[in-house]
Amino acid sequence: MLRLPRRHLLALLLATLPFAALAAPPKGGAANLAMIGEPQSLDPMASTADLVGTIMQHVYETLYAFDSKWNAVPMLADGMPRVSADGMTYTINIRKGVKLHSGRDLDSQDVVASLKRWMEMAPRGKSVGKDTVSLEAKGTNTLEWKFSAPSASLLAQLALPSGMAIIMAKETIASPLVSFVGTGPYKFKERKPDQFVVLTRFDTYSARSEAASGYAGKREALLDELRFTPVPNANTRVEGALSGQFHFADQLNVDALPRVEKGGAGVVPIITPSFGFPYMVFNTKEGVMANQGVRQAIQIAIGEAEMLTAAYGDKRFFTLEGNHFPQGTPFYSTAGTDQYNKQDAKRAKDMADKAGYKGETIRLLTSRQYEFHHTMVQVMAEQLRAAGFKPEMQVVDWATLVQRRGDSKVWDIYMTHSGQLPEPMLSPPQLGEGAPGWWSTPAKAKALGEFNQTTDPAKRAQLWSAVQQVVYTEVPYINVGKFSSLSARSSKLEGYTPATWPFFWNTGLAK
Amino acid sequence: MNFNHLGRSLAGRFGGMLAVLSLVSVLVFILTRLAAGDPIALLLGDQASLQDIELTRQRYGLDQPLLAQFLYWATEILKGNLGQSIFLQMPVTQVLLDRVEPTLSLAVLAVSMAMLIGVPCGIAAAVWRGKLIDQCVSTLAMLGASMPSFWMGLVLIQLFAVGAGWFPVSGYGDPGAPWNIRLHHLLLPAFVLGTLNSALIIRFTRASMLDILNEDYIRTARSKGLSEISVVLNHGLRNALVPILTVFGLTLALMIGGAVVTETVFNLPGLGNLVVRAVLRRDYPVIQGALLAIAGVYVIINFLIDVLYLVADPRVRHG
Repeated sequence: MLRLPRRHLLALLLATLPFAALAAPPKGGAANLAMIGEPQSLDPMASTADLVGTIMQHVYETLYAFDSKWNAVPMLADGMPRVSADGMTYTINIRKGVKLHSGRDLDSQDVVASLKRWMEMAPRGKSVGKDTVSLEAKGTNTLEWKFSAPSASLLAQLALPSGMAIIMAKETIASPLVSFVGTGPYKFKERKPDQFVVLTRFDTYSARSEAASGYAGKREALLDELRFTPVPNANTRVEGALSGQFHFADQLNVDALPRVEKGGAGVVPIITPSFGFPYMVFNTKEGVMANQGVRQAIQIAIGEAEMLTAAYGDKRFFTLEGNHFPQGTPFYSTAGTDQYNKQDAKRAKDMADKAGYKGETIRLLTSRQYEFHHTMVQVMAEQLRAAGFKPEMQVVDWATLVQRRGDSKVWDIYMTHSGQLPEPMLSPPQLGEGAPGWWSTPAKAKALGEFNQTTDPAKRAQLWSAVQQVVYTEVPYINVGKFSSLSARSSKLEGYTPATWPFFWNTGLAK
Repeated sequence: MNFNHLGRSLAGRFGGMLAVLSLVSVLVFILTRLAAGDPIALLLGDQASLQDIELTRQRYGLDQPLLAQFLYWATEILKGNLGQSIFLQMPVTQVLLDRVEPTLSLAVLAVSMAMLIGVPCGIAAAVWRGKLIDQCVSTLAMLGASMPSFWMGLVLIQLFAVGAGWFPVSGYGDPGAPWNIRLHHLLLPAFVLGTLNSALIIRFTRASMLDILNEDYIRTARSKGLSEISVVLNHGLRNALVPILTVFGLTLALMIGGAVVTETVFNLPGLGNLVVRAVLRRDYPVIQGALLAIAGVYVIINFLIDVLYLVADPRVRHG
């Protein structure tokens, strides 16, 4: 066998690297993409479920999109908006010559009609709609949006691929949507419930000229067809990825990593760091958790380190930190984090006694839909018992949990999780009004009022510290830490960029 | 043939069929609604506000009293309308029809495999009662009856789909796949179902054949000098068919309505899988429609089996 000296091998590798980096993924082929289930809808305004956004972001586009650093940058908009001096009027130009899937050019009437629908239907749209005074088309490619108060998070709201502010052909606007005419690099072809959603390449797609970055920049449909297949069983997704049947398998259980790593050259594990955060919500309206002192005692009783270790095992899949936003991002702050991961049973017991806790049962609502929720609640229940609390786990299926959490009489704490988003006002919903938990206090109103009405990014970053401090003081919810996600792709799927809402433009299939 | 008796018997069974279906519709409705859970909260996603959820509930009529909802549903059924899926936003009839092909194909393939394995093995075990072959067949039948289908499915996936790469892991083929690709996807799950269900057929065939082979007319047939094959197949099997047909019918009905676990493990878009997903999504119209349809299939198959008894057994035919 021919053996090359190591330095020759290195030279060979270095010589081929630039070409490898420059070589664009090949064009053509159909990708089989195993997703976690059937999408709730194909209308991203009708459902905030991530899966709906993941699929339909290929069909519909938004005025702005997040780049790789989570900045909201223009997508269908021509540039950043012109904002009036008082911060209340936004003028946005639409890119000229953008083709809709129906063949005609997109115009400002389409954009205005779509955004009005978003403000009527989508939860985030409704909150923007409350502050909207008027939204009008000014000519073919311009719109003017007037607000009653400055809206600091508007561009992030418009860029988010969940409950999306999608732009569609105005003549297709209906409820429910029956035809899906957008401007994205892929067109809707067919949906067969519980079997697949098929999208095909839109040949006259109008791409941006900037380099691809995150969800933003140049998008190119290299694959002929995207086949999103619902595969709710996580194990089946793993087996399908290992056998080569699926080119992409979304959200695998973290304990599948060794199998994927040993799966041979055909399959590649994808770890997306800081993918999301688990958090537990307290019922501040009724019952024992309406007592802020008891909530503070629980915060001291629990140990997030134990909870995360039990849930994820491998340290590559979690980060133990009390800051709600990762280090290096604009909203990174350590305010209040001295209350994080204390696991001090004695102090917690004293605090609970002082707050007037009389041994009432604490109902912990959780589900096994997400095994990590259940594991963390199990650990937490033990920690609470050690501190003299009387927890009672109520394990139900997800459909029951989402129903029960709407009734303040039947639970005290529930566990859930959210994607790690760049803008605090995007998640968790408890930072807004009316979400389960019903957190509404003067301190919240003050801190968030200032935060939401300030448009200067540097000032907002400072103001977030005050909000995070209020969360640690009033304990409406506890952010347990950050977790990474595991997915897998075929080594043939080239050009794939890991993302919270996986996308498959600029991705090709090797022959 | 006594046609009056036959007609009365069939009419009675038909009446019973309608009574069973009415009872099923009431039970299904009550059980579905007694279960906690909210389809609308799932549909709208995690970020939807409680107010949005309530408004959408009203739009779907889920805020109405249960009796009003039931009466509306029952009236629509009588008109032939099973309603609209909350989650899939399409008519329930359409949703069910889409699932019939995979489920029926899987059931027919699996039952054929079960019969092909079960009947010859059962006959052999009865003919060579107490011999090595009987013990081997009985052990295999016991093993088949006690092995969980999900476990066998996962093992076969590991061995033949992931390991050898001979079969696809899951699904029902790409969009627009031809019948041979669909068949390729069905072979492994059909083998799992067929093998496991053959256990029951083996035991019934063996027991039934043992009863028959001890009858006087079998001795007579042998004494007439008929070959052993002719005695066993023509005189034995023919008379042992009624209980075997019952098991065949029940197995087929069970597979049409209940291949839940196998369909889930292999991610086949069949009726069983649909019911599980509909329950998890609390898609009431689909759960109700699917269970009613499955109960209907059970009842019809039982009815047809009764008719087949008439053909296979003259004693039933002549009352």
